[in-house]
Amino acid sequence: MPRILVALPEKCTGCDRCQAACSAAHDGVFAPSLARLGMDNFPLLGRSVPSVCFQCANPDCLAACPEGAIRHDESGTVLVYPDKCTGCGACVDACPWGQIRMGAKNVAVKCDLCAGEPSCVAECSAEALVFTEPDKDLRKRRGMQMKERCAAGSPEGKRAELARRLIAVEK
Amino acid sequence: MNLYTGSVLHVDLTAGTATAMPLRQDWLREYWGGWGLAARYFQEYSAPGTDPLSPDNPVIIMTGPLCGTLVPLSARFCFMSRSPHTGTVFESNAGGAFGPELKFAGFDGMVITGRSEQPVYLFIQDGRAELRDASKLWGLGIFETEEKLQQLTGGAKTLSIGPAGENLVSFSCIGTEAYRQLGRGGTGALFGSKNLKAVACRGTGAVRVADMKGFLSIMTQAKTESLLTADNLWAKTDGTPVLVDLTNEMGIHPTRNFSFGVNTDKSGLDSDAMKAARAGERACWSCPMACGKFTRIDGVEIEGPEYETLCLGGSNCGVNDLASIARFNRLCDDLGLDTISSGATIGLAMDMAEQGLHDFGLRFGEVPEYLAVVEEMARLSTDRGRDLALGVKRLAAKYAAEDLAVESKGMEFPAYEPRGNHGMGLAYATSERGACHLRAFTIFAENPFDGVQLVKDVVAAQNLNAIKWAMCICDFWGTITTEYLARQLSAGLGETVTPDELDRAGERIWNLLRLLNNREGLTAADDSLPRKILTQALRGGPHEGRTLNIDELEAMKSLYYAARGWDANAVPTPATLAALGLLPLTNAEVRHA
Repeated sequence: MPRILVALPEKCTGCDRCQAACSAAHDGVFAPSLARLGMDNFPLLGRSVPSVCFQCANPDCLAACPEGAIRHDESGTVLVYPDKCTGCGACVDACPWGQIRMGAKNVAVKCDLCAGEPSCVAECSAEALVFTEPDKDLRKRRGMQMKERCAAGSPEGKRAELARRLIAVEK
Repeated sequence: MNLYTGSVLHVDLTAGTATAMPLRQDWLREYWGGWGLAARYFQEYSAPGTDPLSPDNPVIIMTGPLCGTLVPLSARFCFMSRSPHTGTVFESNAGGAFGPELKFAGFDGMVITGRSEQPVYLFIQDGRAELRDASKLWGLGIFETEEKLQQLTGGAKTLSIGPAGENLVSFSCIGTEAYRQLGRGGTGALFGSKNLKAVACRGTGAVRVADMKGFLSIMTQAKTESLLTADNLWAKTDGTPVLVDLTNEMGIHPTRNFSFGVNTDKSGLDSDAMKAARAGERACWSCPMACGKFTRIDGVEIEGPEYETLCLGGSNCGVNDLASIARFNRLCDDLGLDTISSGATIGLAMDMAEQGLHDFGLRFGEVPEYLAVVEEMARLSTDRGRDLALGVKRLAAKYAAEDLAVESKGMEFPAYEPRGNHGMGLAYATSERGACHLRAFTIFAENPFDGVQLVKDVVAAQNLNAIKWAMCICDFWGTITTEYLARQLSAGLGETVTPDELDRAGERIWNLLRLLNNREGLTAADDSLPRKILTQALRGGPHEGRTLNIDELEAMKSLYYAARGWDANAVPTPATLAALGLLPLTNAEVRHA
């Protein structure tokens, strides 16, 4: 069974090592704004909410891409093929969780699970990000999170909205 | 640039301008960042004799070179100015995420001078900055200010002051991320005196390193082999409340205005009590330890209370239930009051009533008035609130209660009793900002009364902490070394950095701070401890009957000055300065004042 990446917000301490590690792995710099996962903080409430790409079986981003530049690989990871991407941004609008955005060269970028060894998970000592073969409970958690679809807004806006809803749902 | 952004934001509130200037790279290899670089900038932009609350007193905010990277515990940032509470040079640092955000916005630090005519906040976004009207934020508490700034800026990281800072209370704080503060000597009043309600920052930039692979490999090794080891993991499992039991066992837990060394009724505020109320764990940016314990008890929610608050706001006021201390803490955080100085001052007022010197309506252990007076202090809304807002030293002077006042250089003591550990006495007396536990921390000394060894320990700790705070590394990486820092910096900068030059930088920074205090007229006589510590016997616990008498203090000071290469007036000798590449400070050197 393929492993999946799941965020467990109730365990998150807000240290943001995940975003720093993601940008270091993909872009060679430390820059949370480039990270391929979200992190929203609510310090007064003592909560932080990481959000990750669900690597959907039927991705909205893939369906929206007019160029066939987004495809599943053999393990089920949803990948952007940069040479085919024209930068139209349809995928960015389509993802309900803000997990795909336009990168520096006008090419869409998203989580690629670091080819099976997610750098974010390696830095998450709180175990708020797990990459594992899912049991029933974990699949249920992921399913509950996927129900919180945010229709409009920037990727940042959709991730923030998702974070607010997850705090409310999971309280 | 590697590690640094190469730019510092210069804000002139009188002129209403915010200008990006090149970072003074010629100072980096001597002062590095954080506390060191802030001290060098402060030297450059301040003039001796400047009233701390005047527009001419500069506020320096500085990050460290490792801030914004995956180096753990590196995300603190430093605030430096002259303190309205102590009159000394003054450093404070805080965690959270503001420091990294400032670097991602393209600035290593800020130099803030002048005074705005109207309340303003500074908005920084990706290399640009502007001053915006804050009249609608003025008067609000820190929590509400942060919420409003989130709406106005769309998710900025912020620094803000509450009513205490607006009212220039000399131990008011700047708050960030609700429960984190630039604490102690009146950072809030410094913003308040400039009519600066807040700074809000958003950044989408990057911090670069010369060799990412090497940088990450050194980081990972240090994280596993040094940081996440038995010496430091108390921060992860317990956080600072673990010190409640520890200091009680050691007999150095200040209780009832520093009269007792143990609190025999501590079970309501110790680590077990905190664990029972724990609702989550919170970390500063880049920290895998998450020492911040989120607490929910009896209808109050807070990150904390931390040890210092449990002791000064708890044991020292005779308040022994966690819910009341959590309420006190939350009030202080929202209004912008330092919990150590507030707790110490309330404790003094309670003691004054007990000794029949003055009745403020405050009694040890009586909670309603203890909570009520906090808001009165921040808002200066009652006679007793205005009195207690003076802090320990000036309150005691007003009512002839100096025998009960526990402070050094006007700074209220933190939560480690020096009569039971003489090294802490020397650490408090020689700290540049007055009584402070973050300069040297000798509570684990084998013999807490061995003056000769304690002097060596204090000097070594002050030097190491000076470079550690220059790197803005958190106190709680207790096993960090300059050997490790040199390797990490070398990989980051792409230049060879040696442990030796970092050690020398630590000593250089400590000496520069001394010169800056000497410039304000401070002498060896100011490296003092209060009469209560020198003459009154500690009660309770293993050190019952002990004092730290004047002969013991003066003996340690003499050894300390000799070890430092300072003369008997606590002035660094020309040879000491020359060895560190420092020059004596003269007024002529103040170029920008």
